[in-house]
Amino acid sequence: MPRLALDNFECHYQQHGAGPDVVLVHGFTSNQAMWLFSGIVTTLATRFRVTTYDLRGHGLSGAPAAGYTADVVARDFRLLHERLGVGPAYVVGHSFGGVVAMQAALDEPRRIAGIILCDTYFPGLAHLEPNMENAEVWTGLRSSFQATGVDIGAAVDFRRLFDALPGLTVDQRDILQAKLGAPGVRWLAQLGPLTGTTAAEDVFQAAGLTAERICQVSQPVVALYDERTPFAATRDFLATHLPNCRVDTVPGSGHLALLENPAGFVERVERNLDLLAGR
Amino acid sequence: MIGATSTTDEIVAELANLLRDFEGRYYSDPIGPDTRFFGDLGFSSIDAVLLGEKIETLCGRSLPFHEHAAQLANSGATDLTVGQIAAFLQNCLADRA
Repeated sequence: MPRLALDNFECHYQQHGAGPDVVLVHGFTSNQAMWLFSGIVTTLATRFRVTTYDLRGHGLSGAPAAGYTADVVARDFRLLHERLGVGPAYVVGHSFGGVVAMQAALDEPRRIAGIILCDTYFPGLAHLEPNMENAEVWTGLRSSFQATGVDIGAAVDFRRLFDALPGLTVDQRDILQAKLGAPGVRWLAQLGPLTGTTAAEDVFQAAGLTAERICQVSQPVVALYDERTPFAATRDFLATHLPNCRVDTVPGSGHLALLENPAGFVERVERNLDLLAGR
Repeated sequence: MIGATSTTDEIVAELANLLRDFEGRYYSDPIGPDTRFFGDLGFSSIDAVLLGEKIETLCGRSLPFHEHAAQLANSGATDLTVGQIAAFLQNCLADRA
């Protein structure tokens, strides 16, 4: 099974197809299954070499106790990139995966040919998003937990969510299954390794990726944001301030386009990769 | 080892052996063609990624398991039975024999 030893953990990855390199970077609390089982890997692998991997603490990668800020996670990206012999890559980053891509582009520009940011929130642009707690992905989760008698809070707080998980009874899990559906419960069930780390706090640290630094990314960037994105101000900032940025929209979704409108998401990623690759 | 001449029953039996003690998680009920990967065995989507890698090892070759799972998901399926996995393997191995 494909594992690669990085600095202080084993990184689980897969590669499919042949052609120019595309790296898909999942978001916080997700894993590479989101890419593999959505059909996007199959679609892209017909003409790109597609690398997917589990970020530290996620999926089947190891979970060091600390080091979940974007600068450290971007270093993992660079090591993986180097050790797999990946060429200048088009990086598709969902949510936090987009933060990792932008940090990597600044740290070692030659490794990144272009970036598609998928509904990415940047801690360094938090001042633009004062109402993040209104994001439907969090309010929906909070509402589901409230039905079990557990409040994970109005503010987006992964520590509070992680702390709530071990104490859930069978009855509470049944209520969550009814509210979130089986995929939602499966998502909660795979968070275990992450809960014992500093990730819940680290993910909201700007870690040097300030607004000024973000604006220094010179590679072409596509800001692919969901139609009901909670991060419209971020999208608009990127469109205005990045030297080379195009905006596109996934209809009918509110942060999790790959689940909410998989066909629309895949079609737009494919189209924008072709544009980035000059095809 | 699962091969091109393996019967469906033999493949289901091999999968049952694989899934009964999967990464240290023991499943005590009988595992048959109708056993659901998510609903019965309680696995997550990343377990399905691992399963794909393990059956490649079992078969000794690369298999498009994620493509198959993606097709099922895109057709509206919310789970995956052991029988479906066995049928996928049998088709793949027969095609490449």
